[in-house]
Amino acid sequence: MTTKQDTQADVLPYEEPSGIEQFQETLREYGVTRAVTYGLLGVFLVWTLFPVYWLVTATLKTRQTLLSFPPQWIPLDAQFGNFAQLFAQRPDFVQFIINSTVVTITTTILATTIGAMAAYAFVTFDYPYNLDFHLPFYILSTRFMPPIVTIIPLFVIFRGVGLVNSLQGLILVYTMFNIPFAVWMMKGFFEEVPDSLIESAMIDGHTHLGAFFKIVLPLVKPGLIASAIFTTIITWNELLFAVILALNANAMTVPVGLASFVTKFSVQWINMSVGATIALVPVLLFAFIARQQLVRGFSMGAVGK
Amino acid sequence: MVTVNYDSVKKAYGDTIAIEDVNLHVDDGEFAILLGPSGCGKTTTLRCLAGLTQPTDGTITLDGHDVTDVHPKNRNIAMVFQNFALYPHMTVRENIGYPLKVAGKSKDEREERIDEVAEMLEIPELLDRDIANLSGGQQQRVALGRAIIRRPAVFLMDEPLANLDAKLKISMRSRIKVLQREMDITTMYVTHDQEEAMSLGDKLIIMDKGHIQQIGSPDEVYHQPANQFVAGFIGSPSMNFVTVRRDGDRIRADDAPDTFDVELDSEVADRYRDHETFTLGVRPQYFEVHTERTDNAIEAAVEVTEPQGDEQIIEVEVGDQPVSLTVVAPSAIDAERGDTVWLTLDDDLVHGFDTDSGRRIVGAGDQNRGVASTPEGEMTSD
Repeated sequence: MTTKQDTQADVLPYEEPSGIEQFQETLREYGVTRAVTYGLLGVFLVWTLFPVYWLVTATLKTRQTLLSFPPQWIPLDAQFGNFAQLFAQRPDFVQFIINSTVVTITTTILATTIGAMAAYAFVTFDYPYNLDFHLPFYILSTRFMPPIVTIIPLFVIFRGVGLVNSLQGLILVYTMFNIPFAVWMMKGFFEEVPDSLIESAMIDGHTHLGAFFKIVLPLVKPGLIASAIFTTIITWNELLFAVILALNANAMTVPVGLASFVTKFSVQWINMSVGATIALVPVLLFAFIARQQLVRGFSMGAVGK
Repeated sequence: MVTVNYDSVKKAYGDTIAIEDVNLHVDDGEFAILLGPSGCGKTTTLRCLAGLTQPTDGTITLDGHDVTDVHPKNRNIAMVFQNFALYPHMTVRENIGYPLKVAGKSKDEREERIDEVAEMLEIPELLDRDIANLSGGQQQRVALGRAIIRRPAVFLMDEPLANLDAKLKISMRSRIKVLQREMDITTMYVTHDQEEAMSLGDKLIIMDKGHIQQIGSPDEVYHQPANQFVAGFIGSPSMNFVTVRRDGDRIRADDAPDTFDVELDSEVADRYRDHETFTLGVRPQYFEVHTERTDNAIEAAVEVTEPQGDEQIIEVEVGDQPVSLTVVAPSAIDAERGDTVWLTLDDDLVHGFDTDSGRRIVGAGDQNRGVASTPEGEMTSD
């Protein structure tokens, strides 16, 4: 049968290229296609990278040169003192960085761990009433409403139990906020791990929990890293909850600190740029170090061959 | 000494019954095969012994110890999965040695045993490779290695050859058989391939729709099928079934009474004296094909011939409301589509099945036909 089909494929009549195809071929021949592609890419790059460039170069300018017109595209007279100046004027900015770091690391660990275990449980075990289908959906549904809706009740509750102005409170909120992402991201990875691997591990002498930690988790490492990076980025940059639940320097995070440079009377552009640039670095660095795992994580290539 | 015993084991998922009333016994060192079409419950039966599926009812004992509720890790069993289930993040060496590592054996002991097993399976050169870089056959050997390194009490295999190509399947088949004999480990093996089952097993456990249909040696299930299902499932090409009406020693096919009209040997016909109609079962090999009109023969029209080398498979049709039959004939017989041939029956080797229950109708003198009389549990084939 196959040979018959093969010969049929061989004798398919040669098709004359249509007018559009010929036109496309001409464009390709004269390099028009390539030029348009690179042109669009260039526009996109400027679109996304110019604000970052402007922010970073602002840290080296004075207020006058930053706001001058026509704009000074390249900072000619680099003001490295701006960094020292920020910490001199706002010594509590160090505390903000520490707060942000503590909150982000703790949240990432908690959300990824809880999310992974929940996702594994959904994928592996049977539940009555089709709950293994419904529960992940309900978990995700907590993210459907605008976050601002939950802030007022949360604030009232947190004030009642003394969690306002505390890192614990922020960690609690952020963990809750990130678990749905972690669950949904990890679910796909766990689904790719064949049941027989877990069963095989149990027959080889593991408990179910042992099989989870020794066999399953190493296999879904790209997924763990991807969801960890996601959680880190979201938590590190979060402003809305922090600005309402963290009102004093004990619990204020970097984004809240940055927002505080906008005062009733003026905007401290240079301090803000310096602070924002500092805030950029850790997340960029983390994502850069883990970029290989991140790409694998997003392309969902956990175990498949 | 490791014997396996199932006592009235049942597994139900809600209202769906996967297996029911499973009673079986596997002797020490025996190679038992669970055989049946897909969805018949053979894998569920095996998984109950592994502890991966919890029976709804009944008990399973290993060597007299009730293991029904024991965790898989405490049963001292090893299992080979259809997809091999090798750990992709480990090398071949780590995979094979993993059960020993979990058991807390020292690195030296592990290395020694790994080398020994690799030697046995002829894969020492693969030990430091990654799993992803192995061919199907190589993965299969690694999976076997991981199973035998622990010297388990019972060896379980769930369609271990199903993912291999035909040629490799046959060579791995004999390797598994040799390994099982050498190690003398009680083995339960699941397959849907009757040819594989016949060539490997000491004991065949044939299942259908969650129930055991017959337990017996390969010869027994072939020559003395308990019922129509077993008769049709075992043997290739499949047995022909024709509903016939008996009239004295004569039998006539319900659908082609004029052409399918044969007089049976009176001793054979006597077996069916209590049945006016029954289902006649004839293996394709037990027809004799004649190209000329013959006494007491069935006239048939050739539909298709499939040459197989020394012999050929011929599909024929009998009568106007045609009864289709498959027959195996020597390739010397010259038959082509449209030709007329005459078929005679080998009286001794036909079977009759009760049309309602499907059970084989057993008559006097029929018991041991075609079977070398051997005590149950010993090798009868090869």
